[in-house]
Amino acid sequence: MRIAIVASSIAAGVRIAGEIEKLAGVDVFVVVCNMGTRSAPLRWSRELLVAAKSFAWRTLVARVCSYARLRKLIIMRRPLDDSMSIARLRSLQCDVGLHAANVIYREPTISAFRLGILNAHIGILPKYRGRSVVEWSILQGDRTGVTVFFIDSGIDTGGRIVLREFIPSDGWKDVGALKNMLFGCDARLYRQALEALMSSEFRFDSNDISKGRRYYVMSKMLTEGVNEILGDHDSLG
Amino acid sequence: MDLETAHSGPVQPDRRNAILRGALLRRRAELRKSWKRLVSAECLESLGALAPEVESFLSGPDSIRNSPLPATFTWLNCDTDFWGCLHAIALARKIECRPADTSLACLSLGDLKKLSHADLFKVLCARYRCPLNIGAASELEVAEELLRQLMVTDRAKLETGAAFDVDGVLLRLNLVGIRALVTHDLRSLDALNYFYELPQRSLTRLRANSHLLASWLCIYMQLLATPDWLKCG
Repeated sequence: MRIAIVASSIAAGVRIAGEIEKLAGVDVFVVVCNMGTRSAPLRWSRELLVAAKSFAWRTLVARVCSYARLRKLIIMRRPLDDSMSIARLRSLQCDVGLHAANVIYREPTISAFRLGILNAHIGILPKYRGRSVVEWSILQGDRTGVTVFFIDSGIDTGGRIVLREFIPSDGWKDVGALKNMLFGCDARLYRQALEALMSSEFRFDSNDISKGRRYYVMSKMLTEGVNEILGDHDSLG
Repeated sequence: MDLETAHSGPVQPDRRNAILRGALLRRRAELRKSWKRLVSAECLESLGALAPEVESFLSGPDSIRNSPLPATFTWLNCDTDFWGCLHAIALARKIECRPADTSLACLSLGDLKKLSHADLFKVLCARYRCPLNIGAASELEVAEELLRQLMVTDRAKLETGAAFDVDGVLLRLNLVGIRALVTHDLRSLDALNYFYELPQRSLTRLRANSHLLASWLCIYMQLLATPDWLKCG
């Protein structure tokens, strides 16, 4: 299976690649997007800053060099939905893309991958679509977790769910820290999702959007309430 | 996996509801003290005969609806015009309306999105002549679209300081607020929370339509006094 990690930075892409490489029978590429708003010097300064902040920067540099040497590190000069970028993605002939960039995908980009692009959404689908879904789940007394699904051009409306993992919020007093932990589960969950996809017994679960709602950025007032609930949770637990 | 599994944490629904209720009441007290930051004296004066009632409603402790809103309805007809109805809802007065057997034909979202700001405003005011109808089950798609416009498009414009359609934003805030009053949709209430929390420099631009600004704040005041959001939602 050929996999491309569509990342916003080299460090982010290489981090996920390290996990995906643990799977047998996969060929991994790292595609670094041009986010469209950054000039080249700003873009590379940011990359260097991210690398310098990494505790394991020597390993990171070695891995980046290795990917570059094998021509598996692709730096996009144009925005992802530009026709030249899409042609470049198509030329990789990848089966699956892994979302690790802060971009919105249009249909031509998604269809550049044989099966599509997977997203690790930090909420349980189909109930919680959109933004601040961790906060909304806690406020409404539902379990937190991550859903890995194939995206479409809508907001968390892609119909094929590969896996869901409920991850408790116990022990987290602050929703920001909880969300960072959930975001950090992406590499492991992508690996598990790909493993599931490669299994002969695998069946998709349906993301039936009629069973959920789209949520939006939560106000400061309710976010403070969520932190209070997490605090209570911690003291009771 | 069981997606219906809820209330799994040790924090009980009553406790979550109490936390939410406390937050709403604190916000209500804050709004009562500070609404004049948003509705300037000039703005209040432009409300004419409504001004004393609005002032008393936003400053006083009794801005709670005495006459209950209809819980379920297909459609409501009223003899008053849009503005008369909106003011009655905002100021928690009794609304003279009659249940109808059928709702209006559904609005096409595609057509709605193609309208200019001015035409959209006219279409929404005509359809929701009795604004409570935004809470009807048949209006779910339109209500979701208005919420999306507020929380995606309008929010981005207000946060970046870009030009925005004041009348359109305020009309959406009013209709989304009324839907929250009727359906107890917590997301709709939180859209009003979010806009209230925007920087003052963004909100002062809303003074351009004093009637819609005042009715939004009065509706928001009522929502903050509504109990049991998590039980109802």
